[in-house]
Amino acid sequence: MTKAVRIQTEDFSVEEETKLLHGGNGGMGGIVTFLGTARDFSKGKDVSRLEFEEYAGMAEKAMNSLRDTAMEEFDIIDMRIIHRIGTIQAGEQIVLILAGSAHRGAAFDACEWCIDTLKKTVPIWKKEITPSGESWVEEHP
Amino acid sequence: MIRVLLFARIADLAKTREAEFECAEEGIALNELTKQVVARFPALEASLAQPRLLFLAINQEQAWLDDQVKDGDEVAIMPPFSGG
Repeated sequence: MTKAVRIQTEDFSVEEETKLLHGGNGGMGGIVTFLGTARDFSKGKDVSRLEFEEYAGMAEKAMNSLRDTAMEEFDIIDMRIIHRIGTIQAGEQIVLILAGSAHRGAAFDACEWCIDTLKKTVPIWKKEITPSGESWVEEHP
Repeated sequence: MIRVLLFARIADLAKTREAEFECAEEGIALNELTKQVVARFPALEASLAQPRLLFLAINQEQAWLDDQVKDGDEVAIMPPFSGG
């Protein structure tokens, strides 16, 4: 069984993760998906690829804690959080958050809270590589 | 010894991702340790002069400048996060 919270270099399958989240649970009435993908522009510049770095250990711990908090604070049945690190080309998938609940409201709320909080609290950094150079991103748009 | 880990922009500026610092038996305040880090890596002076823009951790738990670091601890000095 693949873990519900993971940091990995390889790509992930949204379909596969959605099946794992649902797990045949007949009480689940809605699944909200947030899929973050790599834009090919930033601040007017072309971005060819991104490079993600993590604080190994602490980043996964922070993501597990996000899931634990979401499970406590929102009326959801399950949540999965997967974040890629390493080199990611423009257009590729970066992060996946899935929230499943009996009714859609809680899943929307949990998913939005989770991505907003992940950006602020999980020690992962993004570097943008453009034709004119590379720079670390340090804000949360 | 205290193991100091640097990340992203901070690691680029210091041109290293990791450094070791001697530690007195009674430990050292994180604030003092960051001064030693700047003394060894002067390129970090401007960044560490505004520590509220940084995220600090001791043994993978969030820490503050007046926290005490002891021998064998792992300290991380991190710029603002940008995952997602």
